[in-house]
Amino acid sequence: MSMSKAYPLPIDISPTTVANTASLVRIVAFLFISGAAIASRLFAVINFESIIHEFDPWFNYRATRVLASEGFYEFWNWFDPTAWYPLGRVVGGTIYPGLMATSGVIYNVLHSLHLPVDIRNICVLLAPCFSALTAWATYMFTKEMKDESAGLLAAAFIGIVPGYISRSVAGSYDNEAIAIFLLMFTFFLWIKAMKQGSALYGTLTGLFYFYMVAAWGGYAFITNMIPLHALALTLMGRFTNRLYVGYSSWYAIGTLASMQVPFVGFQPVRTSEHMGALGVFGLLQIVAFVELVRVHVSSKQFQQLLFVSVIVVGILGTLVIVGLTYKGWIAPWTGRFYSLWDTGYAKKYIPIIASVSEHQPTAWPSFFMDLHFLIFLFPAGVVLCFKELRDEHVFVVIYALVASYFAGVMVRLMLTLTPIVCVSAAVALSSVLDTYIDPVVPDATDGDADAAKKDRSTTPASSASVVELLTDIVTSGSSPSKRTKHARQGIIGLDTRGVVILNALGMLLFFVVHCTWVTSTAYSSPSVVLASHMPDGLHIIDDFREAYYWLRQNTPKDAVVMSWWDYGYQIAGMADRPTLVDNNTWNNTHIATVGKAMSSPEEVAYPILRKHDVDYVLVIFGGLLGYSGDDINKFLWMVRIAQGVWPDEIQEPRYFTPQGDYRVDDQASSTMKNSLMYKMSYYRFPELFGGGQAQDRVRGQVIPNPGPTLDYLDEAFTSENWIVRIYQVKKEDPLGRDLKGANAFDKGKKRKRTRPPVRRRSLA
Amino acid sequence: MMPLRTWLLALASFSFTLVSAAAHSFENTAIVRTVDLGGSLVHVTTTYAIRALENDATQYVVSIGEEESRSVSWFEAKLKGQSEPLTFFNGPLEPHHGTYSYTVDLPKPLSVNGTVNLVVETVLTHTTYPWPEKATQENDQALKYEGDLLVLSLYKTTTQRIKVRAPAPRIISYTTPEGLDAFATDNLATQAGATITYGPFANIPPSASAEFIKQHQKHIVVHYHYAAPVVEITSLRRSAEISHWGANLNVQNDMVLRNAGPALKGHFARIVHQSQTYFNRIPPHVIPSLTFHLPPGIHSVYYYDLNGNVSTSRLRAAPSVPKAAESKQHSLLELRPRYPLMGGWNYSFTLGWDSPLADSAGYDARTGAYIVGIPVQTVIPGAVVDQAELKVILPEGATDIDVFPPFAPITQHRSTHVTYLDSIGRPAVTLSFENLTDKHSGLIYVTYKVPLSAHLQKPKVVSVAFVTLFLVAFLARRIDLTLSK
Repeated sequence: MSMSKAYPLPIDISPTTVANTASLVRIVAFLFISGAAIASRLFAVINFESIIHEFDPWFNYRATRVLASEGFYEFWNWFDPTAWYPLGRVVGGTIYPGLMATSGVIYNVLHSLHLPVDIRNICVLLAPCFSALTAWATYMFTKEMKDESAGLLAAAFIGIVPGYISRSVAGSYDNEAIAIFLLMFTFFLWIKAMKQGSALYGTLTGLFYFYMVAAWGGYAFITNMIPLHALALTLMGRFTNRLYVGYSSWYAIGTLASMQVPFVGFQPVRTSEHMGALGVFGLLQIVAFVELVRVHVSSKQFQQLLFVSVIVVGILGTLVIVGLTYKGWIAPWTGRFYSLWDTGYAKKYIPIIASVSEHQPTAWPSFFMDLHFLIFLFPAGVVLCFKELRDEHVFVVIYALVASYFAGVMVRLMLTLTPIVCVSAAVALSSVLDTYIDPVVPDATDGDADAAKKDRSTTPASSASVVELLTDIVTSGSSPSKRTKHARQGIIGLDTRGVVILNALGMLLFFVVHCTWVTSTAYSSPSVVLASHMPDGLHIIDDFREAYYWLRQNTPKDAVVMSWWDYGYQIAGMADRPTLVDNNTWNNTHIATVGKAMSSPEEVAYPILRKHDVDYVLVIFGGLLGYSGDDINKFLWMVRIAQGVWPDEIQEPRYFTPQGDYRVDDQASSTMKNSLMYKMSYYRFPELFGGGQAQDRVRGQVIPNPGPTLDYLDEAFTSENWIVRIYQVKKEDPLGRDLKGANAFDKGKKRKRTRPPVRRRSLA
Repeated sequence: MMPLRTWLLALASFSFTLVSAAAHSFENTAIVRTVDLGGSLVHVTTTYAIRALENDATQYVVSIGEEESRSVSWFEAKLKGQSEPLTFFNGPLEPHHGTYSYTVDLPKPLSVNGTVNLVVETVLTHTTYPWPEKATQENDQALKYEGDLLVLSLYKTTTQRIKVRAPAPRIISYTTPEGLDAFATDNLATQAGATITYGPFANIPPSASAEFIKQHQKHIVVHYHYAAPVVEITSLRRSAEISHWGANLNVQNDMVLRNAGPALKGHFARIVHQSQTYFNRIPPHVIPSLTFHLPPGIHSVYYYDLNGNVSTSRLRAAPSVPKAAESKQHSLLELRPRYPLMGGWNYSFTLGWDSPLADSAGYDARTGAYIVGIPVQTVIPGAVVDQAELKVILPEGATDIDVFPPFAPITQHRSTHVTYLDSIGRPAVTLSFENLTDKHSGLIYVTYKVPLSAHLQKPKVVSVAFVTLFLVAFLARRIDLTLSK
C-alpha cells in the first residue's frame, strides 16, 4: 500500500480478523440499537403503567384475549353481540387478524415453555419488540441499497425516530405495531427477489405480503408499490427475467394467499386499488413473451412492431378495467381512497372520516417534529440513489415520491414515509462519513478515475447516458452531493475531516436528544390515564377507568351504554358492556342516530334511546378540569354527521349564536342549550361553584346559573374530576304520564310544601 | 375430606349418648349473655356459672338454637379469668333437643357442688340487615338485629340475664317480649344508654328441648343506628407462593368487596359527595377508603383491578421483625377503591405484596423440614368474608407436605401449580373456608421437605435450555445446506 494516509492505521491484521471484528461490531451495534429502540418506547410504562393505550388498541386487546382464552377457531367465528347493539358484529370477518394471531402465537409459545406471561403484557410490549425487528429489516433493506454501515445507520434512525415511535410505544397495541416491520421486510424480500431473480425470495415476499395483508389495511401500499416499481423498470427498458420471476412468484402466491383473509376476500380481483398489480402482472407476461420472441426473431422492425403492440395491449387492458369498473364488476375506489387525492373530499361527503384527527392533512412543523434532521438528509439520499440508479434505487426513488405525497395528505401516513426517510438519510449520511473517514488521501487524477470506474461498473450500459445526464443536472443543483464530489478530490487535512465529522456527530447527538424529548413528552401518554404536572409532582387523573369500572361492577351485565363512537371500544374493553356504536365506524346511519340523540332536545331523544334499549348514556366533560378532548368540543361533528342523514331535523347553523360563534354560555342558541349533550355536560355544574361564576375551563365561558335540568334521564355516576358523566335513562312513567309532566308534578308538590308564599309583590 | 366427615359422624353418635347421660350432671346457677351489636358481625359472650351435681363431671354441653347456629362462625370456650381456650367438639342438630350441642371439656373434673365459671364467646354473621333497606346519600344508616332471646341449656338454670349492647345509645326500637311472665322476676326489658337488659329470668327448666323452644323461646328485633360502614367481602382468594431461590413469600389476594349497608336510593350525585367530603360529613354507609393492617417487613405492594393499576392508595411500611417475635407494628395500607362505595355497590380488586421468607419460615434441622406460617386472611375489622380460598404454593419438588390449619377448613385439596421456570410444577394446597370473621386470624402452618436435587431443578432446566439453544445456533452456522456452489 503506497497510498498516503490521512491518519495511521494498524497494518499487520489478517483479513479474517478484520471481517470477524467487523461482524462482531455489527452484532454489538445492532444489540444496542435494539435496546435503544425498545427502551425509548417504554416511557409510557415507566411514567404510567403497563396499560393499553387510546381507543383502537382496546378492541385489539379484547379480541386477543378472546383468542388467547378461547382458541383460534372460537376467535375466527366470534360474533360479538355487544357491539353495535342491536346489530352485533361479525368480528372474525371484519378485522385484520394478523396482530391478534401474532400475540396469540407468542402467548401460546411462552405458556408452553412455562412462562405464564399475562396476555396484557404481551400486547403492551409487542410494539416495542417489533420495533427492534423493524430496525433489523431496515438494516437488511438499506444494506441492499448501499452497504452495512448505511444499514446500521438506518436501523439506528428507524429505531428511535419519533415518526415511528408515535405509533409503536409500549401499549399502543395497534396494527401498525407489527405492520411497519412487515412492510420493510416485504420490501427487502422483494428487492432480493428482484435482484436475484429468485423464486424462493419471490415466494417469501408473497408470504410476508400475506402476513401484511392479514395485519394491516395499509397493505394496499405494498400492493401498489411493487407493481409501480416493476412498471417503472419495464418502462426504463430494464425488464429482465429476474424481474419477471420475482414479480410473478410474488403476485401469484401473495394474491392467492391474501384472499384467504376473510376481510379481504375477493377484493384483490374486484376492487380498483388492486387493479394496478393485476395489470402489471399481465403486462409482464406480455413483455416476457415479447422478449422470448425477440430471442428467436432478430428483425428490428418486428421488435418495434411488438413494442407498439405491447402499448396497444396495455391501453386495451386499462380500458377493459375501466369498462369493468363501469359495469360494476370492479368496485370503484372507496371514499377513504378519494380523500387521498382530494383533501377536501372527506369533509364534504364523509364527515365521519374527516372527524378523525389523524386523517387531517399534515402540518409542516410535524415533519420536523417527527423526523428532525432526517428530513434534510432525505432528499440528499434520494439524489444519491438517483445518481447510482441501480434497479433497487429506482424503488427507493418511487417510494420516496409516493410516500412524501401521502404523508402530506394525511397525518397518519407519516408512518409510511418514515422508513424511507430513514433509509435515504442513512445512505446520505453514510456517504458523507465514508468519504470523510476514508483514510486514503488520493491525488486528483486517482479520484476521478475511481469515480468514473464506479459509475461504469454500477449502471446498466443501456441507460448510462441518461443517468449521467441526470446526475449532472441533479448534482449541479444539489449542495450535499456537490460537497461530496468536491470532497472526493480535496480532503487532505485532518481539520477538514474533523469539522465535517464533528458536525455529523453533533447532528446525530441532537437527533437523539430530540427523539428522546419528543417521545417522552408527546407520544407516551396512554390517553386513558391523564397526568397533570403539579408543583409537588405528577398527579394521575384516572377518571375514565373509574367510571368504566363503576359500570362494570355496578350495572347489570346487559345494560346498554350509549356514547359517542370514540369511546365504544373502551367501554367494551374496560366496562364490558354493550355499546351502540364504536370505533369500527362501519354503519354511518347508526352513528348518525347516536349523533341525533345527542344533539336533539330530551323529548326527541327519549324515544330514540328507548327504541335502542339504552340504559345508560355516557358523556365526556372536560369543563371542570380543562380537558379539551371532551364531547362538547366534538359536538359539532355529531351534529354534522346527524345532519347528513336527517337534514330536515338537525341543522348545524342552529347550534351557533346569531353572530356565528360556537358558545355554551348564556348567549348560546336555544337549540344548543336544549340539546341532550349540553344538558348532560352541564347538569348541576354551576352548583359546584356555590354562588360564584361557573367557569368552563376548556371554553373559557361562564355557564348560566341555574344550569340545565333533566326530565328523561337521571344522573347515575360522575367521576372524581367530572370527566366522565353517566346518566341512566328513565323507564316510562308507571302512571303513563309523560316524564316531563311527571317530573314537574313531583317538583311542584315539593315546592308548595317547602317554600313560603311570596308576599312582596306589591313592592314591585 | 372423607376422613373428616366420618370422624364427625363418629363423634356425633358418641356425643349423643354422652349428652343424654350427662343431662343431670350440672346446674346453671347464673347465665349472663352479652350481645355486642355490630355491622356484619355480632359478638356474643355468654358466661355460665355452673355447679356440678355429680362427681367427676368433666364435660359440659353448651346448646345453641338451630337458627342461631346457622350464623355462628366462631365458637370459643374458656374458664373465666384464663386465656387458654378449652377443647370442645360440636355435634349435629339433635331433633329431640332442637339445638346443636358444643361439648366442652373442663380442665379438671368437678365434684358435687363444685363450681366453675365458663365463658363462651361466639361470633354471629349475617344476623343484621339495613333498615330502611335503602338510603339516599344524605341519610343516616340504621340496622336491625334479629335473634333469639333466651339462652338454651340442657341443664336447669336458676337465673339468666341477656344484655344487648348497641355501639351507641341511638337505639330506635327494640322488642319487649311477652309471655315470659312465668320466669320474669322484674322488668322484662329495660334500656339504659346503649344497653338493653332482658331479664333476669329465674328458674328455667332444662330448655334445650323442642317443646320448650316452641313454647317459650322469643324472637327479638333491635333497630339501632350504626355509625360505621357494613363491609362484606363476598369472596377472597388468597394465594401464598413460597420461593426459596428468591427468599420470598408472595401473598396475593383477589377480593370482591361489597358495601352491605343500605342500598343507595336514587342515584349517586358527585356534587353531594364532594360537598360531604369537603365538610367531612360523609354518612356511615359510604366507604371512601379502607385501612388494611398488613404484616411488617413487606415490600413491592401492588393494588390493581381488572382495569389495571389503582393509584389511589397510601402505604406506611413497618420494618420487618424477627420470626416468633410479636410485632407491635403493622404496615398500614390506606386503600381507596376507584370510586366511593355507596350502599350495595361492589368493587373487586387484587392486593398483593412480597415479604422476606425468613419472617415467616423456619428450618428444623432435626427433621430436615421447613415450616411456614401463613395468615388465613388479612383482617378488616368488623368485616365478614363469605367465601375464602387459600392456596399455598410450595417450592418445586417439595415432599412430605403436612398442613396444620388453625381451624377446620371446609375442603382441602392438593394440586400442581406451574409458573415461571418450572419444569414439573409446584405442589399446592388449597383450603376453603366460609364466613371468616375478625376472630379467624390464625396462621396456617405448612411443613415440607425440599431435597437438594429439587433445589437444583431450576438451574438445571435453564442450563439445558441455553445449551440446547447454543448447540442449535452452533450447528446452524456450520451446516451447509446449499445445493450447489
